[in-house]
Order: sequence, then C-alpha cells, then structure tokens
Amino acid sequence: MADILDIMDIEQPTAEISRESILHGDKAKKKYVTTKTVKRPEGMHREVFALLYNDSNKDLPPLMPTDTGKGYKQTKAKLGMRKVRKWMWAPFINPARKDNAVFHHWKRVSDESKEYPFAQFNKQVSIPSYTESEYNQYLKSEDWTQAETDHLMDLCQRFDLRFIVIHDRWDRAAFRDRSVEDLKERYYGICAILSKVKTNPWSNIVTTVNGEKRSYQYDAEHERKRKEQLRRLFDRTQEQIEEEQMLLTELKKIEARKRERERKTQDLQKLISRADTGNTPAINQVANNTADSHTPSNTTTNIARRHDRKLHKKKLTSQQRPIRTVEAVTVEWSGIKFPEARSTGVWLRSQRMKLPPGVGQRKTKAIEQELRQMNIDVAPTPTEPVCKHFNELRSDLALILDLKNALGACEYELQSLRHQYEALNPGKTLTIPASICNTNEETKPLGEIIDVVGSPSALNSTV
Amino acid sequence: MSGPNGMLYGGDEIGALVFDPGHHSLRVGYAQEDTPKADIPAVVGVGPATHVPEPEEKVPDGNVTQTGSKAGSELRHYIDVTELHVPRPGMEIQTYMKDGQVDNWDLFEKMLDYCYSKVIRSPPEHHPALFTEAVWSSRSGREKLAELLFEKYQAPAFFLAKNAVLAAFANGRSTALVVDAGASQTSAVPVIDGYALTSAAVRSPVGGDHLAAQAKAMLASMHIQMLPIYSIQSKEVIRERERARYTLKSLPAGLTQSWQQYMLKKQYEDFCHCVAQVSESAYDERTAAAVPGVHYEFPGGYHQDFGPERFKLTECLFEPTLGAAHLACSAAGACDADARGALWGGVVACGGGAALSGWAERLGRELASRAPSAHRLKVCAAPAPLERRCAAWIGGSILASIGSFQQMWISSQEFDESGKGQLERKCP
Repeated sequence: MADILDIMDIEQPTAEISRESILHGDKAKKKYVTTKTVKRPEGMHREVFALLYNDSNKDLPPLMPTDTGKGYKQTKAKLGMRKVRKWMWAPFINPARKDNAVFHHWKRVSDESKEYPFAQFNKQVSIPSYTESEYNQYLKSEDWTQAETDHLMDLCQRFDLRFIVIHDRWDRAAFRDRSVEDLKERYYGICAILSKVKTNPWSNIVTTVNGEKRSYQYDAEHERKRKEQLRRLFDRTQEQIEEEQMLLTELKKIEARKRERERKTQDLQKLISRADTGNTPAINQVANNTADSHTPSNTTTNIARRHDRKLHKKKLTSQQRPIRTVEAVTVEWSGIKFPEARSTGVWLRSQRMKLPPGVGQRKTKAIEQELRQMNIDVAPTPTEPVCKHFNELRSDLALILDLKNALGACEYELQSLRHQYEALNPGKTLTIPASICNTNEETKPLGEIIDVVGSPSALNSTV
Repeated sequence: MSGPNGMLYGGDEIGALVFDPGHHSLRVGYAQEDTPKADIPAVVGVGPATHVPEPEEKVPDGNVTQTGSKAGSELRHYIDVTELHVPRPGMEIQTYMKDGQVDNWDLFEKMLDYCYSKVIRSPPEHHPALFTEAVWSSRSGREKLAELLFEKYQAPAFFLAKNAVLAAFANGRSTALVVDAGASQTSAVPVIDGYALTSAAVRSPVGGDHLAAQAKAMLASMHIQMLPIYSIQSKEVIRERERARYTLKSLPAGLTQSWQQYMLKKQYEDFCHCVAQVSESAYDERTAAAVPGVHYEFPGGYHQDFGPERFKLTECLFEPTLGAAHLACSAAGACDADARGALWGGVVACGGGAALSGWAERLGRELASRAPSAHRLKVCAAPAPLERRCAAWIGGSILASIGSFQQMWISSQEFDESGKGQLERKCP
C-alpha cells in the first residue's frame, strides 16, 4: 500500500484506523510525520531514488544483527478508549417485591443508586373486584355461588387470565367441574356488569367507541360449538381421515373430468357455429351431408352425435379385439379472435391488425405464407375497411389451416383403419363410401371432424 | 443487566443454586451455568461406622458424613461415586426417592449436606435455592422441602418449579408437550405459557430402570455372565466369543445384597448406554440386521458384537400402550382443543432415556403416525445427550438467572411471615 502511494505521489493518510494503528498506538503516527522529510527530485526515476540512502527508510535491513527490537513479543492491544468501570457484588432491593428481601448481584459502581432495572417488567392484569354487598346486588347467579365466583376471580388473578390453566387448577374437590367456556362466560359476565355499575372500568374488557362505553361480549354458545367442532375434527380416527382424503381426491378427479368435458363441448360448439356462419357454403353442406339432413346446426350436431354413438356401439360389438381404437382428433378451434378496440387513450389503428398473443408462432408463419401466396401485403395500410377485412381474412385462413390439419389426421385414421381391416380380413377390401372419402380436398371431412370431436369414444379415451 | 446503550439484557445473576433431584441422580449447580456442577447418584450408602478404611483405599474423609443416630449405634453415610463404589461390609444402599418425590427426608438431608459442603463449598445462607419437582408432587412434600431449606439451611430464598416446565424452558419454549423419559418412569406433561397442566399429565412406569432390567434378562437368555466390575482382579485378552479368563479379587465379607445389586445395575446401565439403540421404526429383524453391530466387552473380559439385539432391547420403551408416543397422545388429548395445536407444534423430548440414540427420532415418527394430521408436528430435543439428560436442570438454571424472575422467589421473610401456606400460591 505504502509503495503504491509512493508511486502515485500521494501522501500517506495520517489518521488511519487499522489493526496496526490500534496495536502500536501513537508510535505509528510519529513514523508518518518523519516520512515526509525527503522528496524525490523531479525527473529522477523511482528505482534510482530508492537506491539512495534515506534516513527515513527504516525498512532497510541493518548491516549488523541486532537484538534490541521487541522480537516476537506480542504487543498488547489497546482497545477501549475509556477507563474501566468497576463492578461490585452489591445488595439490591427489588421494588417488584413486597417483602423488601435483599439479594446480591453484580452491578456497576456507577449504577449504584439506580433502581432494579427488571422491576419494570412487573406487569399485572387488572381483575375487577367487588364487595359482598355488590355481589349480592348485581352478580347473583343461580348457577354460581359466591365462593365459587371468588375462587374463579382468585385464579384469574393468579394465572393472569390464562383460562386453560385456570381450568386445569380449578378446585374440583370443592366445586363442580366446569368447562373453560363456563369459566370465561362467568368472568366476562361479571366484568360487563361491574363496568356498567362501577365508575372505573377495566381496561382489558371495555373499549370506548365514539365516546360510548362498550364492553366485550363473550359468546359462550358460539365458543362451545366451535370447541365441539374442533374436538370432533381432532378425534377422527385414521380410517375416517383416510376416507375423507380419498373422497376429496375423488371429488377433484370428477371435477377435473367435468371441466374437461365442458371444454370439449365448448370447442365443438365454437367450431360448429364457426362453420355455420362461415363464408364457405361448402362446409355447411358437408356437415349436412354427413348427418343426411338439412337441419339447423343444433340438430345437426345432435344427429351427428347420435349417429356416431350408434356407429361406435356397432364398432365395439363387432370388433372383439379392438387393436386400434379411433384416436381422438381434437381440433382446437382456431379462427383468430381479435381483441376489441381498447376504450381509453389514443391508439394506432394498425394495433387492431396485430395478431393477439395467443396465436402461436407456427400459425403466424403459416398465415403469412398463405398471404404471400395470395399476393396480399403482409402489412397493408390500415384503413378502417382494410383492417376489418384483413382481420377476417386471416381469421378464416387460420380456420382453414386447422381444418386442413384435422382433415389430414382423419384421412390418416381412415386409411390406417382400412389397412387394419384388410389385414384382419384378408382378401376383402373395404370400400369407403365416397361421401366420407376425401376426394375433393378441403371440404368433405368436416363432418368427420365434428363427429370425432363430439363422439363418446373421444371422451372415453381422454378420461 | 443494562448495556451501554440503555438496552436491558435478560440475565441477572444472584448466586442462586439449582437442585434437580431425580430417581437416577441429583443434579446440582449454580444458576446461569450451562451444566450442573455435580451429578450425584440418587442413592446413599448407609453402613456401620466401625469399618475403618484400609490404608490403600484411603479417601479424604470429607466425603463421608458422620452422624450419631439417636439409638446410639454409629452410622455413616456414603455419598457420590467415589465413596459408594468401594466395597464395604455392611453398607446398604438406600434411595430417598419414591415416585418422583423425596420420600426419605433424613437421607435427603444428608445429600443436601454433601451438596453444600463438598460440591458448592459455600454456606447455604448465601444462595437462594431453586428446586425442581415432579408435576404430581404432593403438597406435604413441597412444604416439607420448603421448611427444610428455610429452617435448617437458612436459605435466603426458595422456589419450586415443575421439571416439565423447566425442560420446556431449556428448549426455548413456554408452551410445549414435554415427554420426559426418566429412570423410573416416562411421563408426558402439557405446558401452557409456563404452567404445567397437572390434570392432563400422564405417566407410565416404563423407564431407564426397566430398560436395564430388560438388558439383564436378555443377557441371561444369551447365557452371558455379567460380573460386577469390583470383583475382577485381572483378566486376559481373549478372542471374540471366547470363554473369559479372569481372576477374582478377594473381597471383604459381608457385602450387602443391596450394594451388589446396585453395582450390577450400574453395569447393565453401562451396557445399555454403550450398546442399546432405538430403531427408527418398529423393530424389524431384517433392517436391524443390516446395521453394523456394536462391540462390547464385559467386565470379565468376554466380548462380542451385538447386532439386532440392541434394537430389540429398546422396543420395550415404545410399547403401544405404555410407550412415550402413547403417553404424548393421551396427554394432548386430555387438553383443551384450543391448546392442542400449540402442543403438537412443540413436543419436547428430555430425560435420560431421550439421550439414547434414536429415541427422539423414533418418538417423532410414532407421533407423526398418531397425531391428528390437522396439526403441524414438531419434536424438538437438545442436540447433545447431556443436554437432554439435564434438560430440567438447565431450564432451572435459565429461569433462576432471568432478571424478571427475581421477584418470584419466596424469601425467608415471607416464609417467616405467612408460613408454608403460600407455597401453593407462589409456586404453581
């Protein structure tokens, strides 16, 4: 450190607090005063200067061995700055005691006149008191004798209102056994009555609200009920607890299943309504084709479902060994829902064309791809009509992409089932009716999708 | 005391003594210290004074209190290990404890004399005395003790504290369910805010003595002879499980049955201390066999490894209907429903039995399977075996050195004024 300071030509700080300075005391200070005497001449290299003999440089080894130094002797640390204060074994009187007993302890001589410091912790609960006439006038009770009440008040004082302990120490030989609630009820009842008739209220039970005295009302009935419930809760046997646990987990499972089912039906509804209101009449048509009837969408689904259930049943009965059950091709509904215009603040209309965050990366890419194929600008000028139409277009594109995916999956299922059928029944070929076979690309399998999603088989396989 | 910045520290020492009488030993020492000054076996050897110690076994006679009984025959009382363990003809071993309380007051007085003169080495009138007591101690016993301290020993102040409460304090709790595995019995006592709930306390006679008896039975069934250590003159080094070769010492005639029993019991205790271990869950031959054995050499020189036996031995401490876990459950069940949560949250294991390795863990495991799942369960025990063993004493040491406790002593003035009747009020 000193070397660096030398190089930088910085003066040593004189009043440095370190272990060294504490150990050597004022000797260190003197040393720093003398180091200032010789300064390095301008232009002279440090190394050269260091070769010169320097009076103040005490670090140089002596030419002759000496043994005048302190050697390995430890110097004593000077830590405290103040003088040592004396302690003495002195008698003291504790003001918290009533008997003036004298004990002895160590204390500082300077503290001799002070009061015993721990006396301040002598806190006592204030318990109401009553005279006999007061008792006869106000506090008479059919249930409690005066002796019993006195005993209760005495215990309250002794155990600082710890009612559980009071209940434990209750004199059962002299008085009948009472519950903790009985004791509390009596005590708080007495407090309430006395605070009304007497002038000095007890701080721990009476609070003033808006200048009006209000005393704590102890609801014994409620407490008893609560205790009873607690007791029952704790007294359950292990089997009961296990049963309850089991029931709870079952309930959770059922709820989860229910939620799943609801989600599925919702998805289906959305898909159908989307298809119904959709721009392509072909979808509508296909949906109807499958159901073999031209009915509104609600009935369509119903029939479609029923139809499928029938099919499914047939499948189960005919196939003894279902090697491969039809897997659920779940279509997440996916037209894009653009958020409504935000209500407050100024905003750019192009914000409305932003894809909502829920749309995945892959879908975004696919939509852009489609747009490019159609020679549409990916980011057109956001006039009002452009915004609207552009969003609708992209939403439809997203839907179409999903439907294509679903179609692909169904197609695959169909083909694999056909192969399976042929493998099981060699020589036979399964002719798939043209209505469900995919000949003209995107339109046909919609019905299939609807069926598959809504079918009980799908539910069964996921549950 | 108060610090430089006006802060008030918790402790204030007034030179108090703490006595913790137990069935196995009596702990005595200064309050504010972390371990008792002495741990004296709770028995007194009573023998005729006619016996003069031989030159080579000359012990400074200070440890021996000599008294002339009224009948005229001289009796000497031998206290503490160095005196007790010497074979003396006619020396009977007597205990002053019964059912967790002092029963034989004459012998107990001898013990207190010994404590003051040889352990504390300071006149009793200088030191307030704090005694521990069992939760179920009788009123007459407590009053007798107070009288003894004030009238015979001129103690400046006296206080009686329940050992369960003190054990809770030693573990830093004022509310706890204290499971005390003592020598003569195991007990479970709920403590609420520093007050023991006496009506909910439960105990069973299964304790350290029972374990020693079990060890005796086990060794007898294994045909291993336990010779008392004092009877062995010399022994040869032999291989494991080989027949012991030793020469017996020539002993004075007239050694009493009680003394021989006492010395043998010490041996069995040592065996339990070295070998016995509590298995984590209920005893299972296969898991117990997987644990490496412990080697033990008997006084005669015979030595062998003890494997699963050492786990089997301690199973008697955890019997389903007498064991510590059952006691804890029934004690908690007898408490008010509001208090149970706090009790289960602080189960304190203490006592000599709890110092057995694995005891506290086993207790925790058994309680976890029995305690209502609505509560958080925590079993705490001091890490060091000695701290578990002396938990009540340590708690007393803490209590007697707290500044705000100093107002609670029954002073000699108070005792003179209002007599022993206030004991119930002042030491609940």
